[in-house]
Amino acid sequence: MLRPRHRLHPYLFLAPTLGILGTFFLFPLGLAAYRSLYRWDLLTPPRFVGLAHYERLFSSGEILRTLTITLSYAAVVVSGSMFLGLLLALAVNRKGKFVAFVRSCVFSAYVVSWVSVALLWMWLLDADAGLVGRACKALGIGEAGLLTSPSTAIYALAGVTIWKITGFSMVVFLAGRQDIPEDLYEAASLDGAGPLARFVHITWPCLRPTTAFVGTTSLIVSFQAFDIVRVMTQGGPTHSTTVFVYAIYEHVLLNLRAGRASAMVVVFFGVLLLLTLVQLWAWRMGRRSR
Amino acid sequence: MKQKGLARYLLNAVLLIVAVAWLGPYLWMVLGSFKSLKDIMNAPLAPLPSAFHGEAYAEVFRSIPVGRYLLNTTVMALSIAALQIMLVLPAGYALAKLRFVGRGAAFLTVMACLLIPAQVTFVPVFLMLAQVKLVNTMTALVLPFGASALGTFMVRQALLAIPDELIEAARLDGASELTIVYRILAPMLAPTLASLFLLSFVFHWNDYFWPLVMTTDESVRTMPLAVALLREQGTGVRWHIVMAGNVILSAPALFVFAMTQKHLLRAVAARR
Amino acid sequence: MTLQRRALLQSLTAAVFGSALGCSRDADRGSAQSVALWFSYGGKNREVLERMVHRYNQSQQGIRVLATFQGDYFEALAKLRTAIVARSAPVMSHVVGEVVPYLHEAGVLEPLDAYPDAQNLGLVPALAQVGTYTPTEPKPLVALPFNRSTPILYWNGAMLERARLSVPESWDELREAAKALTVRSNDRVSTWGLECPISWWFWVALMGQAGGEVMGADGYPLLGEEAGVEALQLWQRMVHEDKTMRPPPGRDYNAWQVTNQDFLAGRAAMIYTSTAFLRYLEEHATFPVRAAPLPGFRRRAVPTGGTFFVMMKSAPDHEKQAAWDFLRWMMQPEQTIEWATSTGYMPVASDAVARLEREGFYQKSPNDRVAMDQLKYAMPWPWAESLFRVQRECVDPRLEEAVLNRQDARSLLNEARKQALEDT
Repeated sequence: MLRPRHRLHPYLFLAPTLGILGTFFLFPLGLAAYRSLYRWDLLTPPRFVGLAHYERLFSSGEILRTLTITLSYAAVVVSGSMFLGLLLALAVNRKGKFVAFVRSCVFSAYVVSWVSVALLWMWLLDADAGLVGRACKALGIGEAGLLTSPSTAIYALAGVTIWKITGFSMVVFLAGRQDIPEDLYEAASLDGAGPLARFVHITWPCLRPTTAFVGTTSLIVSFQAFDIVRVMTQGGPTHSTTVFVYAIYEHVLLNLRAGRASAMVVVFFGVLLLLTLVQLWAWRMGRRSR
Repeated sequence: MKQKGLARYLLNAVLLIVAVAWLGPYLWMVLGSFKSLKDIMNAPLAPLPSAFHGEAYAEVFRSIPVGRYLLNTTVMALSIAALQIMLVLPAGYALAKLRFVGRGAAFLTVMACLLIPAQVTFVPVFLMLAQVKLVNTMTALVLPFGASALGTFMVRQALLAIPDELIEAARLDGASELTIVYRILAPMLAPTLASLFLLSFVFHWNDYFWPLVMTTDESVRTMPLAVALLREQGTGVRWHIVMAGNVILSAPALFVFAMTQKHLLRAVAARR
Repeated sequence: MTLQRRALLQSLTAAVFGSALGCSRDADRGSAQSVALWFSYGGKNREVLERMVHRYNQSQQGIRVLATFQGDYFEALAKLRTAIVARSAPVMSHVVGEVVPYLHEAGVLEPLDAYPDAQNLGLVPALAQVGTYTPTEPKPLVALPFNRSTPILYWNGAMLERARLSVPESWDELREAAKALTVRSNDRVSTWGLECPISWWFWVALMGQAGGEVMGADGYPLLGEEAGVEALQLWQRMVHEDKTMRPPPGRDYNAWQVTNQDFLAGRAAMIYTSTAFLRYLEEHATFPVRAAPLPGFRRRAVPTGGTFFVMMKSAPDHEKQAAWDFLRWMMQPEQTIEWATSTGYMPVASDAVARLEREGFYQKSPNDRVAMDQLKYAMPWPWAESLFRVQRECVDPRLEEAVLNRQDARSLLNEARKQALEDT
């Protein structure tokens, strides 16, 4: 740590960054908190209603419903992409053209836009005209269309998300795996440890920080999901895919309720804050065990 | 030994399936883009088009100004990425290397912003920008993302690993603070900066949400937005047209990926 | 390798810049007054509108209409509202009838009464602003009808003939016909008797046929009371008991699109949808497409649908004048005829209707006549600020819940009513 040459230097260096972050992220959040106390449709003058929006959001069960949907989506996405990513990372952890090719294939989905992926899978999952949709139908899964029946839609979205982001967790896990010194494995082999024992005693513990990172990153990604919902289901059928961000978007732009949307923003931020705490805790635990 | 060979064989078979699971959809998309409306409607599951039609592409180019949208998207993503690089360096430097009152608070602020997605702030931001008549401008698309909380964090972490002595030596040599940041430290952080640039470029190139809510005008509309609009619900399916748009939208991203693959993969891995 | 890459990049850049310049050149040709028009038609209807705008631009020198596609009705409306706030709204757009009262009460619509010829456009009353809403104290003219429609019943001519059925006139006959037309093998349905988007518009039609009203004279959200429940129960019965109706999957217009596709592919023998798709369905069907009025129950009733042109009060005067010139042009019989005969929407000018009648158009294409004839059963919309919110927020999601999750229709509509009365 150095002493700045001029007292103002650090502040000047930080000013553009903090200025932009403050203007476009922190201040709007404060503004949202203020607006959440008003009934406001953007066009006619706002009217003060106190905490009525919060009361409504909680008493109508909307918060609970939205949170449940978001959480079940996140749970599937996080566990699915982590599991698949880890498995793939271990499988492609060798040299050679073929595995490099497989790696590129899987990772490429991470590079392509959500819109592309959403449109593509919307077509693939179509129960009548889609390759995957028809296959599923033939197997007796999702007769009514995976994306279009309330009981499966959110999991279909989660599946597409997993397809999109598994490449990311694979690459991160792979890097984590390659950081583990090979002599650990050699020593274990000499001691007669099989592949499973080596995984349980070496790979898994050494990958713990990586796991924490992948887990929290994909958790945040899934809490911020919007594009895929907007393109593929618009929150439906019957609200079954109305995740948090989509609910906010719907309130303000489609239902003409800027006030209630703002209240939703505040609650959503609370949830995200909670998630950060979990993240920080997970990182700390991960680093400590390294 | 024989068992091992078999295992390797099986593993490769599984990996082949994996490759197909990820490559197959793209292939389907490309094939779909060459189908005609008749193919789409009458034989939706036939893998090959009856003949390779350019019809869908022609329709895409006819209904949207592809060139302008691609240009908008590129300009937007490049400006954001470049601006971020310019701003994260001094900010990361201050946070990593300088002792000053409020450093902890500043760091916390940056970290907190990591947690506020744009989807949460767009209404107030939209109204603010509307008040200064910036909606429907490139500024509205670029400025809010000019500072990167994640990038600042990444640069700070990277700088922590660089010994203070090096900076002290540079100071003794008479280098100004800006020279130290942009001329001495930046090259040392080249991998971090390059990865930040790439990740940010790809992210914003693909971004749908912000342009969706910040633009109404065609003049600043970006490609993801236009492609999503190609669906044109109303009369009937147009999957071949949507897929043609999709190919145009994803090809540049995949091209960038192919060109910078090694680097991008390392960048993602390094974010841990 | 690098050389090749560079060459590739160069040609790419050239292509991108080239076409970008090309576009801008086209956009600001000459010194004509440019006026923006946002629209939300896709596919066939978009092509027709673009063709007409082009023709208008060619027909005179002074005004150039720039038409921009903004997504479906609801997407475009969202855009419009945010743009109004941002003071970047176009001078013209078109919006669904249900939201006109709200936009008017919010004070964003330009009153059109004083514009030249506004009083003698000769519009079909039931389709114009006056006839579309329940009479209230006189409101200024803020909306001009453009693409107006009613829901109609389409049927697959070949299938109906094969089943030797006549067109259903009542709900009972509809259920019977749907039963007769549904084709099953091993419990799997290959052709559905009826398909109808589970959506506000069709629910309002059924509710009206059962004798209900959306709102009372005082603006109280009746939602048809018992009639609303009966409407939902008809769907529930046909979907879950008779298993003869397919609720098309997808939200909003996605479901409408699926309905069209299923009809064209022979997966649905009868569909309820807008008269707007008449031309599209006729052009793409491999069987004779027939249209009929919606069956009645206690009475015949249909809502009107589609959109109205509106002008933004906030636009500069010279733009409003120019926009008016275009709107007036669009209201002329010649244009309304082109629009109606190429799409399936109804011609909004009385003279146009008379001319089509005279020239034997309705004789030749009786399908087009159905919606016009049905107009005598049209239910006016209540002029209520909350109408659009009631539609989108209170009713629409609950219709899905009733039909897809088979929840109790009465309690759902009670909830909807309660929510409609909320004031926050």
